[in-house]
Amino acid sequence: MVLWYATAGSLDRQTDAALRTDALGLIESWRGAGARGVAEAVAERLANDVEGTAIYVFLDPAGRRVAGNLDRWPRGVEPDLSWTFTTVQREGTEAEARVFAVEFGDGHRVAVGRDVAEKNRLRELLAEGIAWSAVTATLFALAGAALLRRAVEARLRPAAQTAQAIAAGDLSRRVPLSRREDEFDRLGESMNAMLDRIDRLMEGVRGVSDSIAHDLRTPIARARAKLEEALGGPGEPEALRAAMEQGIADLDHITRVFGALLRIAEAEAGARRAAFAPLDLAAVLRDVAEFYAAVAESRGQALDLGLPPRLEMVGDRDLLAQAVGNLLDNALKFTPPGGRVRLLARALPREGVEIVVEDTGPGLSPEDRARAGERFFRADSSRATPGSGLGLSLVLAVARLHGGDLTLEDAAPGLRAALRLGPG
Amino acid sequence: MRALLPALLLLAPTTAALEPAARVTTDSREYCAELARRFATLPNAEAEPARSLAAEGVRLCDAGHPRTGVAKLRRAIRAARMGQ
Repeated sequence: MVLWYATAGSLDRQTDAALRTDALGLIESWRGAGARGVAEAVAERLANDVEGTAIYVFLDPAGRRVAGNLDRWPRGVEPDLSWTFTTVQREGTEAEARVFAVEFGDGHRVAVGRDVAEKNRLRELLAEGIAWSAVTATLFALAGAALLRRAVEARLRPAAQTAQAIAAGDLSRRVPLSRREDEFDRLGESMNAMLDRIDRLMEGVRGVSDSIAHDLRTPIARARAKLEEALGGPGEPEALRAAMEQGIADLDHITRVFGALLRIAEAEAGARRAAFAPLDLAAVLRDVAEFYAAVAESRGQALDLGLPPRLEMVGDRDLLAQAVGNLLDNALKFTPPGGRVRLLARALPREGVEIVVEDTGPGLSPEDRARAGERFFRADSSRATPGSGLGLSLVLAVARLHGGDLTLEDAAPGLRAALRLGPG
Repeated sequence: MRALLPALLLLAPTTAALEPAARVTTDSREYCAELARRFATLPNAEAEPARSLAAEGVRLCDAGHPRTGVAKLRRAIRAARMGQ
């Protein structure tokens, strides 16, 4: 339509504009010199019509021709400033003409027109060309769309098949990647990464369920055995009291485990991010260190501090205090008497904060360090030490909640735990 | 007469449709002659290329090709006017 308007439509608009200008010129001639002026103007224009398409007829009030190149008023044309298509005879054949008619005040009237037969032929040619172009372009577009659709379908088929297999229960399936490294490969990589993540999470859920069942069974069984033993015993008040205290201690341990699990879940879900507030981390660390300094002293250990005067950041004060407390608790627990634990903190160059807890204990093997953040994981060497295996899981969850991470390194001797926190 | 009136009314549009189309009168030897007279009155009628064009137009009209002749004479008039 745009092409038609710009080409064939332009021919019509040119003709109408020329006729309107012509008619306005004749009206001026009428005002200036009356009928004689119009007749002379018509004769002059006909003499200058090199293209040979001009049509004029000027009639007096009695209907007699005064000037022009038509032998009579064209049929179907009303002299009331109207636009009309009519036919005229030219050398024995009929030709289409576009006519604009004007009636002057005293009954004189003039029809101004153009023979548009040539323009009509040109317009038909243009219309035919545009129609063929449109048909060809449509065919090419349809063929292109079909090819594109087939190509997209072919590239998406592996991803669709993988999704169907996973929906059917086969979680081991992954999207096969081509070597083109295009958008479809990136989509496949994203899907595979998502599936790996889901797989790991499900594995973790299964592991946590198993661990909860395993770790809680022991204190529950122990409490039950103690209570049963007390029930079946001689009923001495002291023995009953001891059994009840042991049972309460075991139930407290279970409550603590569930509390820790809930806190980890909250941290991982980001639910506590709403509680973030500006805080001075150095002050928080000093408070935590003061509490553990007493524990260290009772065990004959030294707790050294390397803290700046102030360390501003945004975060959850309680979770950070608990995370650092867990690190210090672990360090003191595994450091032999006479050993040394260091708590350091510093601002990182890119607006982050690093907290380091170093000890002189036995440290962890690289394999154990890799798994230390898993829930309920306990190294073989620490089985004899009290604990639930959730301490470092909470530290890791708190680090991630604050946009950071936990790194465990060999301090030769001992363990170096670096807790890096983001800007908040 | 009364019976004929509806029939005449029915025929009226047909009669209008049968009215012959207006005829273009400028594709004729008479108009050739009129243009030649108009050309002769122009001040530059003897200058080239207007003179040759006019002569060619008159010759074509005389040879029975009034439409082409008229076109040549019109070009001659335009050329003469442009030379003024």
